[in-house]
Amino acid sequence: MNAPAGEALGTRLEHYLTKLWNADVKVRDLARIPGGASRETYRFDADVNGKPSGMILRRDPLGSLIETNRRIEFLAYKSFHGIVPVPEPLALEAEGGALERPFFIMSRIDGGQVPSVLNLDPYGHNARATGEELFRILGRIARCDPATLPLRDCLKAPAPQNCWRTALDEWQAVIERDERHPQPIVRAAMRRLRRNAPPPPAKISVVHGDYRSGNFMHDGNGKILGVLDWEMVHLGDAVEDLAWCFDPLWNHFDDARVASTISEQEAIAIWECESGLSVDPAALKWWKLFAAVKGCAIWTTSGKEFVEGGHDLVLGFAGTYTARRHDRIMADLLERLVEEGWS
Amino acid sequence: MTPTAQHLLNACIMTLATPPRPEDAGVFAAARLRLVALTNRLVAMETADAAAVRVRENAALRTILIEAGPAHGMSATEFAADGDYSLAALDAANAGLRRLLTRLHEAAEQADDRALDRRILKLYREMARWRELVLPPVKPAS
Repeated sequence: MNAPAGEALGTRLEHYLTKLWNADVKVRDLARIPGGASRETYRFDADVNGKPSGMILRRDPLGSLIETNRRIEFLAYKSFHGIVPVPEPLALEAEGGALERPFFIMSRIDGGQVPSVLNLDPYGHNARATGEELFRILGRIARCDPATLPLRDCLKAPAPQNCWRTALDEWQAVIERDERHPQPIVRAAMRRLRRNAPPPPAKISVVHGDYRSGNFMHDGNGKILGVLDWEMVHLGDAVEDLAWCFDPLWNHFDDARVASTISEQEAIAIWECESGLSVDPAALKWWKLFAAVKGCAIWTTSGKEFVEGGHDLVLGFAGTYTARRHDRIMADLLERLVEEGWS
Repeated sequence: MTPTAQHLLNACIMTLATPPRPEDAGVFAAARLRLVALTNRLVAMETADAAAVRVRENAALRTILIEAGPAHGMSATEFAADGDYSLAALDAANAGLRRLLTRLHEAAEQADDRALDRRILKLYREMARWRELVLPPVKPAS
């Protein structure tokens, strides 16, 4: 089914919100914004009974970089609203009849910036303040008891000793399903991960799943306004998020600072203080290599979807530039870990 | 490798040729144009040495397979040639050689052949570097 034209999309949205909130709703200035390949993202203003509000619409695309559940993402926003800076979730339509595809609506955070991975030194003089807040927030996410959150109803908790295996099985299956050209580096990394299992976490935590520079909005003065893109949220070992955020892919070409903000040691100290957890170096090493494998899986799928499923250049770029950069990161790390004694 | 330069350029054409929807104007359209430009730059880098990179990788793979393969039960007759040196032929040969390298690496790990393991890991690092496409970082406007 064709996507509705712009006028029609705004009108349909207006009808949907009018009915949902039983109020007089006027939708204005609907415009698509870049928001990754896993959802179509639109900004718009809604006058609700004459009161204006900025909002964001996240709608499932025709093809997607990763298959994700918008209900889980919506519940993640609901779970963490008021705990860490996130937009307020407002409405979820899992069937998608009103706008042809499933979607959800949340409040809009204005005045923020989200850097591209290609940006150099995106936080400038405020890198330290940004990094300190980045890892304090991540620590707060890790500290939360999943059983107290709305997310508890839709996420399965692995046993602590199975966190690594659950995560690796999931992403290895993606690589095996979507690989179209043999990738010996990631195959070797996956074998190594299975032979060098990490110690289990002290507790099961909420894992954002894509916590990194580029997935949070900041005000340009060291303040984080919103943590975004929760579509890969799950339960597991909180060190997974830390390792993903530390991945050199997200460091803006700055090898001395994680996410181009502060040193890894400083980030860990802040995170430990805020989460009440400690980082086992062996676990961190394991999750760092896992991060590269997970990235490889995502870029493998994006390359396959691009070639076989359409012409979305976001997928083509990820399946080419990002895939090869991550392959190099993974090969370097794999060799280093074996030099350090991995079997 | 996938996607190919042809896939990427076709997608650029499709992106530019598809009439934008009214709600795609503005920031989204500008981001799309930047992506078309970046993709063209990637394709230029990829095609500049596409055949050379594949010939080099295939030669390196054959060397290690010929030298270390027989000790781990592999026959030199299995090692695919580069055909007519078209990218399609080079990629087809590369796919076969990469599968054999994975088999060789698994055999080295099982036999605890550490010297070969290290040699293959070093080759992975070189392969990844040969294939990497390096875009220059962008300094945001102050």
